[in-house]
Amino acid sequence: MRRFRPLLLTSTALLSASVTAVGVAAPTFGQTLNSYGMPGAIDTPTAVAPPEGELSATVSNSDYGRRVTLSFQPVPRLTTALRYAKIDGIDPKRDALYDRSFDLQFQLLNEQPGWQPSLAIGLRDFMGTGVYSGEYLVATKTVTPRVRVSAGIGWGRLAGAWRRTDYTDEGGKPNVDDWFTGSAKPFASVEWQATDNLSVLAEYSYDDYLPEVEGGADEVDSKLNLGINYRIGDTYQLGAYTIGGKTFGIKGTVALNARKSAFPSGLEPAPAPVRPRPAPSADPEGWSGAWSADPTAQPAIQTALSKALKGEGQVLESMALSSNRAEVRIRNLRYNMQAEAIGRTARLMTRALPPSVETFVITSMENGLATSSVVLRRSDIERLENTASAHIAQRAQIVDGEPRPADLVYSPGIYPKFNWGIKPYLSLGMFDPDDPLRYEVGAELSAKYEIAPGLILSGTIRQRAFGNSDQKAPGNMTPDEYDDLGIDENEYGVPRVRSDSRMYAGNNRPTVPRLTLAWYAKPTPTTYSRVTVGLLERAYGGVSGEILWKPVDSRLALGAEINRVRKRDFEKAFEFRDYEVTTGHVSAYYDFGSGIWGQIDVGQYLAGDVGATVALNREFENGWRVGAYASKTDLSEEEYGEGSFDKGIKLSIPLTWAIGQPSTRRIGGDIRSLSRDGGSRVRVDGRLYELVRQNQTNKLYDGWGKFWR
Amino acid sequence: MTRVMKNVAGLMATALLLAACGTPNDEAQGTILGQLRQAVGPTVTRATGRGAEAPAAAAAPLSADEMAARALAANPAPLILVGLESSGATQVMAMVGDNSGMRTYMTPNEQALIIRGGMLTGTKGLGHDLSVAEVDNVAALIRSRRAGQTTRINRYLGGDGVERPLQMTCTVAIGGGKGFAFAGTSWNATQVVETCEGGGVEVQNSYLVSASGQIPVSRQWISPALGYVTIQTIRP
Repeated sequence: MRRFRPLLLTSTALLSASVTAVGVAAPTFGQTLNSYGMPGAIDTPTAVAPPEGELSATVSNSDYGRRVTLSFQPVPRLTTALRYAKIDGIDPKRDALYDRSFDLQFQLLNEQPGWQPSLAIGLRDFMGTGVYSGEYLVATKTVTPRVRVSAGIGWGRLAGAWRRTDYTDEGGKPNVDDWFTGSAKPFASVEWQATDNLSVLAEYSYDDYLPEVEGGADEVDSKLNLGINYRIGDTYQLGAYTIGGKTFGIKGTVALNARKSAFPSGLEPAPAPVRPRPAPSADPEGWSGAWSADPTAQPAIQTALSKALKGEGQVLESMALSSNRAEVRIRNLRYNMQAEAIGRTARLMTRALPPSVETFVITSMENGLATSSVVLRRSDIERLENTASAHIAQRAQIVDGEPRPADLVYSPGIYPKFNWGIKPYLSLGMFDPDDPLRYEVGAELSAKYEIAPGLILSGTIRQRAFGNSDQKAPGNMTPDEYDDLGIDENEYGVPRVRSDSRMYAGNNRPTVPRLTLAWYAKPTPTTYSRVTVGLLERAYGGVSGEILWKPVDSRLALGAEINRVRKRDFEKAFEFRDYEVTTGHVSAYYDFGSGIWGQIDVGQYLAGDVGATVALNREFENGWRVGAYASKTDLSEEEYGEGSFDKGIKLSIPLTWAIGQPSTRRIGGDIRSLSRDGGSRVRVDGRLYELVRQNQTNKLYDGWGKFWR
Repeated sequence: MTRVMKNVAGLMATALLLAACGTPNDEAQGTILGQLRQAVGPTVTRATGRGAEAPAAAAAPLSADEMAARALAANPAPLILVGLESSGATQVMAMVGDNSGMRTYMTPNEQALIIRGGMLTGTKGLGHDLSVAEVDNVAALIRSRRAGQTTRINRYLGGDGVERPLQMTCTVAIGGGKGFAFAGTSWNATQVVETCEGGGVEVQNSYLVSASGQIPVSRQWISPALGYVTIQTIRP
């Protein structure tokens, strides 16, 4: 084991220099969101940045259409949004236009006392079909504690100059050539906070809603829009507004903040406190270490500690014990923050181990892999219990887990081990232009057989109960016709690797989404490997191999993956179709600090296309994560189809944040662009980076505030 | 736990079984629905403290002295009687650990107060806990019954899991003396008031301090969400 003190990464968790005003009253002005779900009045924007970590969902509805917007503040100055809009009558292919759009707003200046207003620049609907396409520069000033005015200059829709949508284009690319072009017009808004909850809004906007009017809506007969906004706490907003006097709209917002939780310190019971050691004179035998010669000592200690750890949701997989050092290898099943699991384990060790044991090594295990070891001095634990968590952080060493320590003793009954469970499942598919909400509800049986450390046989069986998610073939074929056709290719000769994924849906008999034998190993202290064989995912089966290099305190990780897979039959669990492919990637992962990490994968995708995927994530200390990714391969835009290239947004929220009870579970989803064939990867379980990263230096420090919790 | 609560717990367990079944004790297998169900019960109890308290109070409200007397008979450990003002709940807590004078007191449902020399330095399991209070400076004044001005740092976990300090400036003032008896012990103590300000909050902790520096009775601030707790020594 390398004995070095890892560099203290610039994790915000430990640089707790910023004093939050725990008791300060909230600022008088809230973050009013407009009908586009962005900071603004009714349609126009304001130069107001929501708090960092704010995630809000806004629905607005009027005769001019319905907009569902998810907006997120990844860093203090940047507001991002993904919108899904429905506008009647203007898509030549469908009865209504179902359109995605993306917005960005960047805060250039923050408001200061005196004359300086806040200033922001923004891009609305800056890629894709661009029905809302417009850009702006806006300034906002709070003139009295209850009145806020904004004024700006807009291009595109904000200037009443709609950039006519080109429906022959596949869309999905940034329309850089259009930005800040065409005529520019001013806009302005005023917000009067009539009561603490109620705002009255008025704005002047040049948007003439031309595309909506062409689709059959009323013309806009005035440039003046009026509205009210009612806030319920920091979470809810309800609003009503008029567009030009004749058209009425309503909107509602739900906002969550990654940094605010109902129970910030959690509701889990208090841990057992440290038991200080007796004076050497009171226990000379314990202090001498003579006990370690007794062969019954370790089994007795291991059994007692294992039982105590079980009460804390920790599995004691194995233990190495000598007269002055103890290493425990734990699998954390309960705490969202690994640091909390380690802190509780350390305290239980003070209660179970004889006084001569001074060095505690707590190794975090995932799928049989030693992902990190935290080395603590028992005297530090005794001396620093319940002090500021930064103190014990400075005394703890985080080192690479030793792959195969010589004197490790497995706890009885750990391997082999069988687990199973039945639970209901709900699978949701949203934002498909042809079928906006698909769902399926049923029961899922899952089982896991851990044969030896790192060797895991696992699988799931699902039985659909009901739902509207039916089997559907691509194009205008019926499922039977498509199945019989046997040629899984589109009109450009691109293999249909995902665009026929709905052929797998609507099965009323039991399905086997996954059935695999996986072998995880750690060839060296800093490399990890995985081999998975079987039915890897609903649509593909085969072999998947992966290797990852990730030293415990490294910001950089490198990986490679290779898969040989065959497309599975649409209905029969253990049969395959003819399509077979080799797909693989080399990957680089980098942690930029400040909660931002990224990943680049370069290689061959499922359809045999070659290209790269770039992903960027904003992850808060508590594990709240919002990420965006995009893939571009050598498929042409025509071959790829609507959307031009694969892109999407991933959201993952720890359940603990929402309910206060301890849990390692997460809730989340993947909002991807249309299921297309280019840039698609096998969805194999247990990829190494995320498995390993959670327990390594940077994430441990992120959660270190919970060490003594 | 009262009988009523046991029934509620039984109901919750049944609900959980309906939602999911499988190998017992494998926490990873639970459902979100189950987790939520599991969450609701204890949340209500913990957040309000009424879950356990209300039925007992309805049956026969016990006076502080009666609660103290029963606890003294049942538990040989050092004991305190604790009242959480925000919830109105009062319960007895027993010492479960003493690490060089830092004492951990726990309720039967494993919520804890950390107390050093009568000064509250932490809470656990209340949802809006005080992670740690660094009170050495102010404790020196209070326990020696001297007026003066000094600082304390309270640390809190944010919703993001980050521990952040709340630095406060505190003024200690000395009030009148007082003799009283509680739980079979007679005390002669002086009232000491600690007024602290910082981060936009102002709080006032008050203590009764004996000549030897013991604090048999106190009212101390935990956090903005939880407010004050009163602590009475049953058995020192």
